[in-house]
Amino acid sequence: MTGTPKDRAGWRLDRAQAEAWLGDLLSAGRSVYAPVERDGMRVFGLVVAPGDVTLGEGKTRFSPKEYVFPRTETLFRYQLDDSGVTLSDPPPDTTERVLFAVRPCDAAGLIRLDGMLAGDVFYAARRARTVVVTLGCDEPGPECFCTAVGGAPHGTEGSDVGLLPTPEGILVRPLTPKGEAVTAISSGGWPAASAADWERAGERGRAAAAAILRQPIAKEWAARLEASFESAVWSGIGERCLGCSICAYVCPSCSCFDVQDQGGTSCGERCRSWDACSFRQFTAHASGHNPRGDQPARYRQRLLHKFGYYPARGSGEWMCVGCGRCVSLCPVGIDIHEAVRAVMAAQPEKR
Amino acid sequence: MTDIGSLPTTGSAGNGVWTSPFRPRVLRIENALDETPDVRTLQLSPLDGGPLPAWAPGQFAEWSVFGAGEAVFTLANSPTRGPFLECSYRAIGKVTWALRDLAVGQVIGFRGPYGNRFRTEDWKGRSVVFVGGGIGTVALRAAVQWVLDHRSDYGEVVILNGARTVADLCYKHEMPEWQAVPGVRVVRAVDPGGETPDWDGEVGMIPAVFEKLGLAPANRVVVACGPPIMLKYLFVSLGKLGYAPGQVVTTLENKMKCGVGLCGRCNVGRHYVCVDGPVFTWEQLETLPNDF
Repeated sequence: MTGTPKDRAGWRLDRAQAEAWLGDLLSAGRSVYAPVERDGMRVFGLVVAPGDVTLGEGKTRFSPKEYVFPRTETLFRYQLDDSGVTLSDPPPDTTERVLFAVRPCDAAGLIRLDGMLAGDVFYAARRARTVVVTLGCDEPGPECFCTAVGGAPHGTEGSDVGLLPTPEGILVRPLTPKGEAVTAISSGGWPAASAADWERAGERGRAAAAAILRQPIAKEWAARLEASFESAVWSGIGERCLGCSICAYVCPSCSCFDVQDQGGTSCGERCRSWDACSFRQFTAHASGHNPRGDQPARYRQRLLHKFGYYPARGSGEWMCVGCGRCVSLCPVGIDIHEAVRAVMAAQPEKR
Repeated sequence: MTDIGSLPTTGSAGNGVWTSPFRPRVLRIENALDETPDVRTLQLSPLDGGPLPAWAPGQFAEWSVFGAGEAVFTLANSPTRGPFLECSYRAIGKVTWALRDLAVGQVIGFRGPYGNRFRTEDWKGRSVVFVGGGIGTVALRAAVQWVLDHRSDYGEVVILNGARTVADLCYKHEMPEWQAVPGVRVVRAVDPGGETPDWDGEVGMIPAVFEKLGLAPANRVVVACGPPIMLKYLFVSLGKLGYAPGQVVTTLENKMKCGVGLCGRCNVGRHYVCVDGPVFTWEQLETLPNDF
C-alpha cells in the first residue's frame, strides 16, 4: 500500500470481525478501553471479552478522559523515619492503551486536555502510549452541540483510527502511524471498503450534523465574553447552580485537579484528584477570603475559562467540545451553550 | 506577564528518567522563631546537605508536611541572607497547623521556587516604599532585605509595617536592624484599638498612615502586600496622592495546588498567578477581572 494512512481505502468489518480485531489487540498485550455496560450505565471500561463492547448509539456517561488523566493518582509515597523521610515515585505507567469507539467529541476533548496538561509528566507518559480509535456518531442527542464549537459527528480531530458505523458493523481507516500499528495487527484478511461504503456512511454523518440545530459559537466572542465579567447577566445564569460539579466530572476537557495527602504522619502518599471550579473550596483561602464568593461567580469562571480566558490566552481553541453531557446531566438544567449565547446577547456589540 | 507558550514543561518521562515536579525536596527545620502568637518563621536547610536552590525575592514555594499536605507561601528571606531558606507562615489551615506541630530537627517538603519575582533592577536609582499589612509583610521581607543589602542602588527606603494589634506585628525583632541602616525609615502602625499603653508607633489604618507620611510620588516605587481590603483602600490613597498604577507593585495570594500552571486553581482571567505572578503591578491588576 502507498500514500498516507488517510488515503487508504480502509476496510469494512461486520460485528464478528470487529470483535476478532479486539481479541487480537488483547492478545497483543494492549489494554483496550471501550464502551461497556456497568451498573446500568454505558461507560468506558477495560475490555475483558470483546463481546462486552457495546457499539450502540449515544455516548458513554463519562468520557474516556480518566484513562489518560485518572480521577485520582499517586504522585509519590512517603515514609518517615528517624533520619527524615524516604520518598518514592510511583512506577512509570507503561500500559499500551487503546481507547476504542471514542466519540469524535471525546477525541477532540483529549486534544483540549493536551492544551492544559501536555507539560505534565504523568499525563504525557500515558498520552504517548494511548491510541484513540474514534467511532462516528450518527444519532446526536438534543444536548449535543459539537458543530457549534468546530466539531462534527464524523470528525477526526484527535483520532488515530476512524471508524464509521454501518448497518452491519463498521468501516475502518487508520489516520496516523499509531493508528496503522493497531489496524495492521488484524487487517491482513479484512475486506476492503469501497468508495460507495464511505459515501453512504458519510451521508449519515452529514445528516447527523444537520440534525444538530444549536447555533454556532464564534471564536471572535472570546474577548467580548471576557469583557462580560461585571455584567449583571451572570447572577441570573448562575443563581440556580448547586455547585455539585457534575459538569466538570463528566466533561471531556476539564483538567483542574487537587493535591492532597492520603495517609498518616508516618507513611502515606501524596495524590492528586479531579477538582472543579464550581466548588466553593476550590478558591477559598484558609483566612476565609474567597475570591469567588458565590455560585454565580463560580459558574462564570467555568464558562469564561472555556470560552473566554482559555482561547484568549493564546490557543484560540475553546475548552469545550460540545458533547453536551453537562447539559443533559445538570440537575438544575443549566445549559452552557444557551448560557454563552445569553451572555453574548447581553453584551454590547462594541466595547 | 507571559503567554501560554511559556508555560513550563514540568518534568520528563523520556529515557526512563522520571522527574516529577510534584516530588519535593526535603528540608530540615534548623530554627524556629515566633513572630506573633500565630506567625512563625522557620530556618531550613536541605536534608541532603546539597546547596539551596537559587531564588529571587517575590518567588514562592509549595511547602508540605507529610501526611497533612501542601500549602503555598513566599520565600521569606533574600538570597543574600544565607545560610538558610526561610519561610514565615500563619497557623490558620490544615497544613500550617501541622507545620506548627513540627519541632526543630524534623523535616518538611519543599517545591520551588516558583513564579515571577520583584523586578528589583527596575527600582534602581528610585526611592522604595514597602507597605505590609499583617501577614502580608512576609511577602515583602525578602525584597526589603535585598534592597537593604544593595543599599547604594536605591534612594530613600521607607518600610511601613502594620498589623491589627501590637501583638500581631511581624518581624518585631528585625525592624530595629532595618531602621539602623542609613537612609531607611521604619514606620510601625497598628489599627485603632490595637495599641498598647506603651506603644510608640502609629495608630491608624494603613492607607491613612501612608497618606500622613508625605511621600511624593516622583521617582518612587511602592511595594505593597496585605489583605484585599487594605490594598483596595491603599490604591485609593495612592491615586489621591498622584501615584501612577505602574509604580505600584503587589503580589497576589491566590490558592494554588501545583505551582506550575497545571491545576487551574489560581486562574484569574487569562492569567495563572503561579506562573504569570505572583508579582503584579497595580496597572496589571486593573486589566484583570476581580477574581483575587
